[in-house]
Amino acid sequence: MAKTMDELTVGQRAEVGAIKAPKQLKRRLMDMGFTKGVDVEVVKMAPMGDPMEVALRGYNLCLRKAEARVIELR
Amino acid sequence: MQTIALIGNPNCGKTTLFNELTGITAYVGNWPGVTVEKKEGMWNNIKVLDLPGVYSLSPYSPEEKLSRRYILDEQPDLIVDVIDATNLERSLYLTSQLAELGRSVLLVLNMQDLLEREGIVIDTKRLSLMTGCPVVSISASKGIGLESFKKEVEHALKENKAPACPLFSNYVENLLTTIIEDDYLHLIPSGRPQRWAAIKLLEEDELFLSSMPPIPEAFAEFLHQAKTNLRLHFEDDPEAIIIDQRYKVAEHIAKHCQTKKFQKKRFNFDTIATSRFGAIPLFIAIMGAVFYLSIGLVGGYTTGILENFFAYLGSNLSILLDSLGVFPLLSGILIDGIIAGVGSVLTFVPQLFVLFLLLSILEDCGYMARIAFIMDRLMRTIGLSGKSIIPMVIGTGCSVPAIMSSRTIEHQKQRELTVLVTPFIPCGAKMPVFALMLTYFFPGKWYIAPLIYVLGILAVIITGLLARAIDKHKEKNAFILELPRYQLPSAKNVYLQTRERTLGFVAKAGTIILLSSVIIYLLSSYNFTLQSVDSDDSMLAIFGKFISPVFIPLGFGFWQASVALLTGIAAKESIVSTLSVTMGTQALSSFFDPASALSYMTFILLSSPCIAAISAMAKEFGNRKKLLYALIWQTGFAYLTALLIRMLAMLIL
Repeated sequence: MAKTMDELTVGQRAEVGAIKAPKQLKRRLMDMGFTKGVDVEVVKMAPMGDPMEVALRGYNLCLRKAEARVIELR
Repeated sequence: MQTIALIGNPNCGKTTLFNELTGITAYVGNWPGVTVEKKEGMWNNIKVLDLPGVYSLSPYSPEEKLSRRYILDEQPDLIVDVIDATNLERSLYLTSQLAELGRSVLLVLNMQDLLEREGIVIDTKRLSLMTGCPVVSISASKGIGLESFKKEVEHALKENKAPACPLFSNYVENLLTTIIEDDYLHLIPSGRPQRWAAIKLLEEDELFLSSMPPIPEAFAEFLHQAKTNLRLHFEDDPEAIIIDQRYKVAEHIAKHCQTKKFQKKRFNFDTIATSRFGAIPLFIAIMGAVFYLSIGLVGGYTTGILENFFAYLGSNLSILLDSLGVFPLLSGILIDGIIAGVGSVLTFVPQLFVLFLLLSILEDCGYMARIAFIMDRLMRTIGLSGKSIIPMVIGTGCSVPAIMSSRTIEHQKQRELTVLVTPFIPCGAKMPVFALMLTYFFPGKWYIAPLIYVLGILAVIITGLLARAIDKHKEKNAFILELPRYQLPSAKNVYLQTRERTLGFVAKAGTIILLSSVIIYLLSSYNFTLQSVDSDDSMLAIFGKFISPVFIPLGFGFWQASVALLTGIAAKESIVSTLSVTMGTQALSSFFDPASALSYMTFILLSSPCIAAISAMAKEFGNRKKLLYALIWQTGFAYLTALLIRMLAMLIL
């Protein structure tokens, strides 16, 4: 099993691999720039540990861990 | 007449540019999704359209669908692609889709004033060469570069040249060429380029496919085979391959046109604003400060002064009119109708001004998206999304823009639930009646005012929990939100937004409230045979007495309160003006006791909102039945809660 983005801790960087999600969510995540090979860094966790803030392609975005879980890393 | 359409990523400054061009004061703020409707304005005899922001032309939420539909079906003469210059790469991803539409595209690099701070340099000549679009740098919020923007727009409209389409890998390009050669592609609606259609066929874009006749069997078989081959070749879905390659194009262009200098890490407000322990207390403190400054400090100071002023005005005018021998009906309308009614509402202008000012600073600085981020986990437990908190904060000013701002919530049920509960948050227009009751019945008990907000929030929570219990939707729904850069609120924006909202409130006092005060005065002074009577025998009283028995259990079963509630449907401010017109010189305490005052406030807080908010709700539900259920829920819940509050109050007080 590949590591997924929700397993990263604050400050860790990784490269995005495949996205294993239903068509619409996959499309949405890819539209936001989560394509293969892109660098992501976890910036912060929200006060209750979810959602998480990540930096990619020069901007910051937040998403829930449930969504981060479909993004595999390599 | 020619039309230009402003399109771009959310929060890149389209509406700021639109306002700057057209002189309109459309709603702006620093979070993604402020604009949810198409707006039109005129600029130099050109029609300018402002569209909701999109990240891609494959829409998710209703306002994104609107942008796509417009840009495809209405065919503007020029697509003005507004780009946040500090976010070039992702913006160019959208550009790669716009370029395929066969219309001319002008790239507008907005926020160029921020580039230096971010250590970014963009080679605009090169960008123009690589994209095939003219490029112009501006700063919409500072009004920089608008002259050259104008020149470029005129030039682009005259030339009317479509940009070069982004090229995919050879494998995909060959496939697209074969698809375009098929006869089926002749069936696409006029004005849609074949290349675009071929890509949509590969992506299996549902909106596109539903607008097309069924695909002939042979061609469908060919497409199926082609997609299978693509999958094998790239080990991914065709749709993902296209996105991936578009981003490659965007990366390539960004890499060649942009140089980034290393930036020293500066202090970021998020260190506190989204910190683990500080975030939620800070949010509560900020909202508390907003209300304390506006309602407590400024309101406490100005309300008394203005009340005295209007009382003084009324009594002096009455002496003057008497001495002039003016017809009593006329002086009655003027003094007991207009001055009493409109005055009771205008008293609240200073504190609402401060409230609107502080809210627009909050909206402009970039904090709103952070609230959604830190509150998402909590909001989820009551079946809402982090994005639902934005409408609620805006709702403390006015429910109408608040309800509209719920449109960016992707998940339909969460969106509808947000629309249902947003009016529970007391808006500025409900303030006058709370202030009236509180200063009269609970002087010095400062803690009751915040409790009103707590009650509103409780109503949100209870409704959310109930909705979740009834409807066990375990559907996955996404929460994906860009966190914009913080910025110093622009003085101009804050000024314009605050002025717009305050004037809106004053204008309502001068129109709806004025008219209803006059009508209420007349109806409460005459009976059905048009005889001047005591207000208890007036038309209004007879009418009000039809409804008032319903409210006997709540403690305000007299006609004045019922009539005030009815006029509150037109505008919540008129509750106070109606009360002051109908009760005349009699004291509030001859009608209400503290317990019934509390239950009256509760009922006003929670029952269905004013007509403007109801129509905003209707628009978001798009369905009369849902609207009816929502209004029944709000009013029924208000009734029961008010009853409960009254009983509790009678026990305690």
